[in-house]
Amino acid sequence: MATNQGVNRPPLEGVAPGELRSEEMILNMGPQHPSTHGVLRLVLTLEGETVVDCTPVIGYLHRGIEKILENRTVMAGIRYMDNADYLSPMLNETAYVGAVEQLMGIEPPRRAQYIRLITNELQRIASHLVAIGTYLLDLGAFTPILWTFRDREGILSLFEALGGSRFNVNYMRVGGVLHDFPKGWLQQCEAWCNQFEKNLQELETLITGNEIFEARTQGVGYVDPQQAIAYGLTGPMLRASGVNWDLRVNRPYMAYREIKVNPQVRQEGDCYARYRVRMQEMAESLRLVRVAMDQLPGGPISTRTPIALRPPRGETYFAIESSKGELGIYFISDGSEYPWRAKIRGPSFVNLQILPELLRGHKMSDVVAILGSLDIVLGEVDR
Amino acid sequence: MSGGVVLAEVWWEQLLHGILSWEFLEFVVVFVSIFGFVMTSAVILILAERKVMAWMQDRYGPLHTGPWGLLQTVADVGKLLLKEDIHAGKIDKAIFILAPSVFLAPVIASFAVLPFSPYISLPGAPLATGIVYLIAMSSLDVVGVVMAGWGSNNKYALIGGLRSAAQMISYELPLVLSLVSIVMLTSILSDNGLGTIAIKDIMNFQMAQSWPGKGNPVWDFIFEGFTPWAWFILVQPLLVLIYYTCGLAETNRSPFDLPEAESELVAGYLTEYSGMRWALFYLGEYGNMTIVSAITAMLFLGGWSGPGVAFLTAPGMAIGWQVLGNLLALVYFILKIYLLCGVFIWVRTTLPRLRADQLMQFAWLILIPTTLVNIVLTGALYLVLNALGVSNVVFLVVLGVVNWLMLFGFFWVVSRATTASTRRAVAPAIRARQRLATLAPPSAAPRLPEPERAGVTGAGAGTGR
Repeated sequence: MATNQGVNRPPLEGVAPGELRSEEMILNMGPQHPSTHGVLRLVLTLEGETVVDCTPVIGYLHRGIEKILENRTVMAGIRYMDNADYLSPMLNETAYVGAVEQLMGIEPPRRAQYIRLITNELQRIASHLVAIGTYLLDLGAFTPILWTFRDREGILSLFEALGGSRFNVNYMRVGGVLHDFPKGWLQQCEAWCNQFEKNLQELETLITGNEIFEARTQGVGYVDPQQAIAYGLTGPMLRASGVNWDLRVNRPYMAYREIKVNPQVRQEGDCYARYRVRMQEMAESLRLVRVAMDQLPGGPISTRTPIALRPPRGETYFAIESSKGELGIYFISDGSEYPWRAKIRGPSFVNLQILPELLRGHKMSDVVAILGSLDIVLGEVDR
Repeated sequence: MSGGVVLAEVWWEQLLHGILSWEFLEFVVVFVSIFGFVMTSAVILILAERKVMAWMQDRYGPLHTGPWGLLQTVADVGKLLLKEDIHAGKIDKAIFILAPSVFLAPVIASFAVLPFSPYISLPGAPLATGIVYLIAMSSLDVVGVVMAGWGSNNKYALIGGLRSAAQMISYELPLVLSLVSIVMLTSILSDNGLGTIAIKDIMNFQMAQSWPGKGNPVWDFIFEGFTPWAWFILVQPLLVLIYYTCGLAETNRSPFDLPEAESELVAGYLTEYSGMRWALFYLGEYGNMTIVSAITAMLFLGGWSGPGVAFLTAPGMAIGWQVLGNLLALVYFILKIYLLCGVFIWVRTTLPRLRADQLMQFAWLILIPTTLVNIVLTGALYLVLNALGVSNVVFLVVLGVVNWLMLFGFFWVVSRATTASTRRAVAPAIRARQRLATLAPPSAAPRLPEPERAGVTGAGAGTGR
């Protein structure tokens, strides 16, 4: 399955060919490994501690979500989207219902759009919190993950109050959302925002200036802008390489047409830049949540759509800016209650493809530093 | 003819005499309690670590076993003792089984020369070469780690074991070199000009002979044998830092815990171990922490000195006061050890882990030159000031000031050097990629799209919406 033939390997530093015979070691990292973020398997070819080649092997978490979607009615399928990128279910649902709405030509009410924006941005913060916490855990810092999970807990509690479930929220509906905000929810959210503003500052103080952290991440895993575009990277991966591309800005959808987003871009293109982009995006998302709560319009939260929804014949592609990049749904309908095909364009899957390119020549310790900075979720890679 | 019988009688009586003697009883009691201290200290430290880390990380830590979770480690030890002994099929069995003992034995042996109080210590404590013995013992640990890494027949364990060997050998040097200046100081301070490497003597050098209010019993009680202004930490703060840093590396603690770097190497050389064998490694590691903290306390923080110890244990005091003084000394000493262990825990919660090459660079390019410079500086300063004819006190003050300045310089250098050296260290990777690009024929090189396609303006024709 994982062959290394036909791969150009960089010659070792300082050793002339044929001068010293040494054997390469093939190391199977994963699928059961503490820092492969799920069940990714990396077949590493090591020369000493230097990575010569890497072959990611995926598919250990394949649950056939796209096939399941074909066998569920459109409304019933929303719930299965939660499990694709299980760290940002709200965003997945938004992409799915957005595709259906686009096909049917429905425009959800303004209030529903704002509610979607608030939940999406909260979800983005939650996802980035996990990304940064686990990233620092990969680098050997134990504390940040507990702090970030503490803050994420608040978001999950807010979602629980909203949809009844902390994780698989099943909250979006075609044409709107499931419930309006319950009484007192906005105050709770405001309180959480105030608390999180302080905690984010605390997290910055702990991590950002740390010399060891900078030494581990600066200059490691460099992606230049052309390479990033050539590999189809999106999200923080792309913006950390200096390409200003954010679907919320460049192709605004739903309430993002009214609330302007400041895209966070950095030029360095290394792991440190990716970390900084995520940190800045959290602050930006926090601002967006507050702005949306201030401008929250009244009115209905959903258009009247039947439960047995029959999208018209046709196909469409709808993409949102997920926490990890461009999350697109390619939706084909044959006019029945069931989608004929719903292809998920997962940003994690696309972003993972650059990993072997990045790893070559780095040390083995950098494998986890680079892999963590990609912020992949295996649920979305394997689907 | 009857000589043998007489000899046997004497031997028998001697043995009886020896066993029933006060000295032997004392030895047994001290031995058992110090051995017990090594064992229980690890258990206490693990619990303390979990609780302190929990406190720093905004969570509770162990909570349900016993009151406030205090019995958690006891339960853990019970579990580990009862666990099935599992090992993989193709291990090198002898080496695999022997490794934990080889790792733990030097740690326990190190405690033989630690004086816990003026009276309580194993017979090894008066050893004239105490520091050398301690360093020798701490160097032996690496053998157990390499054995574990090799015997496990596991790639992660092998990498972990070899990393550990390189790391421990590298950090051994600055660790020893940082103690050399202390020995130099003792030779300057002693009357006959001979330095000492006996631990107890070095501790005595940190007890000044005069203090404010000498003669007043209250001040005498507090300050006799307890003169923090004479502790070597004030004269050589940089060395405390370097020694402690090397101690972190020697004990494989964060940020130098590469050999068992969980995120890369699963558990490093511990990967294949389970049950009590695994626990022995942990015991050794936490014992090592205690040793490093104890040496720091003794050489830089005055050891067991504290208010009342020397006053109460002075010759001529009643036996009851002597006992109280020794207990006080024990309390001070263990308190200092655990405070220093607390710094270990604090560091662990704060810092990420270094990379292997950065670790080596830090030892060879920063720590060893710094310690060498410090040795030269100490000697040169003494020669210059001695030629000028100033007293030892002035010399210590000048040395202290210089060393404090060096400490801040060290901070500055380290903060610059870690990031600067990384940029250079990354270069091979990028160079290799560039070379690869030049090696590959141009047709095979992937065609990169034009940068205009980045869509900065957002006007790009896209998905047909």
